[in-house]
Amino acid sequence: MKVVLPVIGLALVIGLWWLATIVFGIERFLVPSPKDVVDAYLAQQGFLIEQAGVTLLETVQGFLLAVVAGVPIALLIVSSKILERMIYPLLLAVNAVPKIAIAPILVVWLGFGMLPKVVMVLLVCFFPIVISTASGMRSTPAELVELLRSLDCTRWQEFFKLRLRYAMPQVFVGMKVAISLAVIGAVIAEFVGANAGLGYVIVVSGGTADTALAFAAMALLAVLSIVLFYGLVMLERFLLPWAEGTRN
Amino acid sequence: MIEIAGVRKSFGALAALDGITLSVADNEFVTLIGRSGCGKSTLLRIVAGLLAPTDGAVRIDGRTVRKPRRDVSFMFQQPALLPWRSVLSNVMLPVEIFGLDKRGYTGRAHDLLATVGLEGFEKRLPHELSGGMRQRVSLCRSLIQNPRVLLMDEPFSALDALTRTELSQLLQQIQQQYAATIVFVTHSIDEAVLLSDRVAVMTPRPGRIHRIVDVGIPRPRSLGRHAHAADVARLSNELHDLLAPA
Ligand SMILES: Nc1ncnc2c1ncn2[C@@H]1O[C@H](COP(=O)(O)OP(=O)(O)O)[C@@H](O)[C@H]1O
Ligand SMILES: [Mg+2]
Repeated sequence: MKVVLPVIGLALVIGLWWLATIVFGIERFLVPSPKDVVDAYLAQQGFLIEQAGVTLLETVQGFLLAVVAGVPIALLIVSSKILERMIYPLLLAVNAVPKIAIAPILVVWLGFGMLPKVVMVLLVCFFPIVISTASGMRSTPAELVELLRSLDCTRWQEFFKLRLRYAMPQVFVGMKVAISLAVIGAVIAEFVGANAGLGYVIVVSGGTADTALAFAAMALLAVLSIVLFYGLVMLERFLLPWAEGTRN
Repeated sequence: MIEIAGVRKSFGALAALDGITLSVADNEFVTLIGRSGCGKSTLLRIVAGLLAPTDGAVRIDGRTVRKPRRDVSFMFQQPALLPWRSVLSNVMLPVEIFGLDKRGYTGRAHDLLATVGLEGFEKRLPHELSGGMRQRVSLCRSLIQNPRVLLMDEPFSALDALTRTELSQLLQQIQQQYAATIVFVTHSIDEAVLLSDRVAVMTPRPGRIHRIVDVGIPRPRSLGRHAHAADVARLSNELHDLLAPA
């Protein structure tokens, strides 16, 4: 049932879409039929998959950089009130800038290659990861902290044997939010200036009114997002088997 | 073993403890009993080196306590187990934090777990255990480093009555097996009478030791079924009277 119902829902929507394109005789370049989309995909499968690979690489690199940078920053924020007051407002301010407004500047600074996309993804992912990780480490139960103190632990041990471990489920919450934003970030950056990637494909096919190809690229983007998200869900199940039981 | 000399502690304007003086001998079992808020936990934390006294000092083994010591262990009301660690690895936590050789202590960890009836549960995660089992794990953890002093802050008060009785019996047995000096905090007169050599009755605002009662009933003890039933009843009544609101 868990799989069957969503599949029926999806089939229904595609059926209605198909029906609508036939019944209303909608022009191909406005709304292509599902068959047009599949045809467009099959005609350029190799090219599309290659472009999806570019977007995937940008997304994963930016995301990993955000994790690598975000977790230590969260550690700093939690470990010192002074650092928290210095860094936190800055983070809020940077996060308040709409990322799409930064995209053209990134192109100016970093050119048309993959780097500005990676940086964009990093920018979008960074904030949710820092916030979740910091709040996870802060929510470590007082009795566990006191236990470690009663063992005369070092600050290092308090963070790595306790707080960071305790925060791991929260780190995953942040990463799941981030990965959903990551693909959006990569596509936005590709819209602004690129010569590869699914975002680039959409821009180009828009220019030539090849709407079916744009739809195929969009479908691939959706698949990419979903695969990345569930990849994280699986990784969490594998790495944190204790989290499931502790939550309830 | 433990000398508490003129300890006073205030939190801002609140005098939590005043003029606490108490000596605990080697291998003695002393219970602190009193109503909530009379400063029992505060006193225990000061003895553990988790909290500094405003005045006075605590000496353990002749040395003034300034921070937690490795030969003193603390057991809390909550099991305080790390949820991602197995039972065995929770018991081994102090060994790991102290940077001691793990191989030397694994055998002891298994022995302790067997003593408390948790043989075969070594690989389980805390959330798979009942509250009583978790507190047994916590007890094993507090004994792993072979401490000379064991400080216990209401270790059984979050458990149901039956488990509670079971665990106090177990603690009695463990104290004889793994000789240690114990300071035990409780609300329960039964526990105090069953376990202690001496009971210090505390009164609140400010927290003071009102009276120290010698138990002096031969061990092993039990509540009510044995020859010493009359002594147990007399002592329980005495403690009841001491704890009754003035
Ligand atoms: N960290 C603290 N800050 C302020 N007041 C405290 C603190 N810890 C304990 N107190 C106060 O000190 C008194 C004694 O507390 P506690 O030692 O926990 O009592 P008990 O363990 O006997 O119930 C209480 O009135 C409590 O509110
Ligand atoms: Mg208390």
